[in-house]
Amino acid sequence: MSASDANSSAKTQTTSGGIGIANLPNQLHKIVTKKGTNLSIMVVGESGTGKTTFINTLLTTELIEPLEDAARRKKQMDKTVDINIHKAELEEKMFNVKLNVVDTPGFGDYVNNNDCWLPVVDFIENQYEQYLRQEQQPVRKGVVDMRVHACLYFIRPNGHTLKPLDVRAMKAIGARVNLIPVIAKADTLSPTALRQFKKRVMDVIDAQSIRIYQPPVESDDEAMTVRNKDIISAVPFAIIGSTQEVKTADGRHVKGRQYPWGVAEVENDQHCDFKKLRSLLIRTHMLDLISTTEEVHYDKYRTTQMKTRKFGEPKPRKVDNKKFREEEEMLRKRFTEKVKLEENRFRQWEQKLIAERDRLNKDLEQEHNLVKQLESEIEAISNVNSPNGKFFRK
Amino acid sequence: MKDGSGEDQNVAPSVYSHVSRPGSHRYKNAKKGLPFNVMLVGESGLGRTTFLNTLCERMVVSKAEKTNTEQAHIAEPMQFKHHTVEMEEDGMKIILNIIDTPGFGDGIDNENCFMQIQEYLESQFDEVLAEENRIKRNTKFKDSRVHALVYFITPTGHSLREIDIEMMRRLGSRVNIIPVIGRSDSLTPRELVLFKQRIMNDIAQYEIPVFSFPNGEDEEDEETVEENAELRAMMPFAVVGCEEVVNEDGRPVRVRNYPWGMVQVDNDEHSDFDRLRYVLLNSHIGDLRDRTQNEIYELYRTEKLSGATVADAMDDMGGLQHGAQMASVA
Repeated sequence: MSASDANSSAKTQTTSGGIGIANLPNQLHKIVTKKGTNLSIMVVGESGTGKTTFINTLLTTELIEPLEDAARRKKQMDKTVDINIHKAELEEKMFNVKLNVVDTPGFGDYVNNNDCWLPVVDFIENQYEQYLRQEQQPVRKGVVDMRVHACLYFIRPNGHTLKPLDVRAMKAIGARVNLIPVIAKADTLSPTALRQFKKRVMDVIDAQSIRIYQPPVESDDEAMTVRNKDIISAVPFAIIGSTQEVKTADGRHVKGRQYPWGVAEVENDQHCDFKKLRSLLIRTHMLDLISTTEEVHYDKYRTTQMKTRKFGEPKPRKVDNKKFREEEEMLRKRFTEKVKLEENRFRQWEQKLIAERDRLNKDLEQEHNLVKQLESEIEAISNVNSPNGKFFRK
Repeated sequence: MKDGSGEDQNVAPSVYSHVSRPGSHRYKNAKKGLPFNVMLVGESGLGRTTFLNTLCERMVVSKAEKTNTEQAHIAEPMQFKHHTVEMEEDGMKIILNIIDTPGFGDGIDNENCFMQIQEYLESQFDEVLAEENRIKRNTKFKDSRVHALVYFITPTGHSLREIDIEMMRRLGSRVNIIPVIGRSDSLTPRELVLFKQRIMNDIAQYEIPVFSFPNGEDEEDEETVEENAELRAMMPFAVVGCEEVVNEDGRPVRVRNYPWGMVQVDNDEHSDFDRLRYVLLNSHIGDLRDRTQNEIYELYRTEKLSGATVADAMDDMGGLQHGAQMASVA
């Protein structure tokens, strides 16, 4: 009887005053605000698609400096895909964000682009690996988390369809990270052409089972749901990037690109989807991007790795890139050559020593012979003085 | 389908018909029509097809049939598609043969594309060579040597890409290459100027052979020399393709319509299309044909005919040469 009493009293507890559980979100807010957060965005696409400009437009600051002509020319001939990381710390109303932007110069830029998405995929998986290892350490403080939360794939606005390179790269990338397809330099497609292109891209994405980031639509707030639906319907996002302010025909000062025939505005929803994408990345869905990365993609990686590896075991090395194999071969060759050189040196040294020893031995023998000779002479003379000596007197 | 596709004739306003440029009739008026073969090369989406339609002033090729989405991960091999259009330019009849190359540079590994084009160009030369050496020649022989290759450069705004450099380098000795910037309406005027400069720097640095409006050996006409210099300064030509024709003050104007403005294809301040068209079909059609016949074809011919003997000689001299080399090293 007392038990049921206790139960019923527990139920009524919530309605009267409460014990302060409802204050938990406020506490959480304070904690999160103080801790700040970590956000990593990757930009992938051929050179000249406006990746650098987009990032600088998004952050309203020149985080990435555009390459100089000479450096760019050199990069054209080097036939590799690099991974460049740019770090920044953003602060807005006391809230800190440590931002990492990962750039991939060289992707898709060459005549032969086979496997050019492998360095990208490797980077993403390495971050998971690093995090996994750090979690397994006895001391877990100060974990460095570089896991990529969103990967923006820049599609060339060719107006027809996705290229085979895009399809293969997006497939590989989308399976491992939140992939957000973006139509670059969209100010070269008329509205009709753009609509058709977007539809075509989505058709190919569906048909090829490419996995892209799906932001959650439903939310408690009706307005939010509407906004979410709006954002999702714009995928893939058509982007115009510009860090410059220009004046429009009707006298407004906006960020945009000035053509002889008009000004294409960055923040005008009729011109491009920049505002929607910015909202997705930062304003409304940043948390979802982070949590999806942790709960879905990282978890998938972790599960597959742990099934095959023991706790604490290092990751088995995959078959290496051809280029690395070549480098390895070269290093090995150089190493063997060096070893040979040293061996030769030692051998010569040894021979010198042997020669020296022989010479000394010879000297010794000579001396020895001399001594012997003297000895025998002495003996001969001493024999002369002996009883039988008169026979030997000359 | 796209807007304005109901118009199957997009006629260029003939801005130049009343202006006679110096030296525009460089080639004798052929009654049957002057054959002119042009190849268009460039990655898909750079406006090749639209350029073709705009150049011929009619819908020669409708937008390409979209392939199956399930096949989207497989690269389509490059094809050579022929179109013939009869044009009339300044009273001169031209039989324009256009060779389009859909599939160029669209794959993941594009090494083969250059070889394919080179083989095509050379096989046309081979045909002419064979015809020349025939005892009884065919008077109706159709000369299908390519007189000009229009190469579309992606408007990255930076500089030439590896595929551009390789392409022009390898084929520059087999055909007159005219580099153009496709979809140039994605660059602001300032960006366009810088981009053109960087491209010309690259062309100079890598010694890429492109058609650079050379003056004839005894070119005395000052206006011609000036014109050529002007054209050289304009290279590479920035082109945009016409998407629709609108009516402005009763005249048809070829445009591209954007929410922020309207690009006029034939407006010299918006694009170099008109100038390029004039060069191809009028002012330099003779030069392009002549250079193909007198320089490019002759070079190929010499190489091909002496190719066999040079190789034999090399074999005989092989030992000698090697010996000479050794001597010089020592």
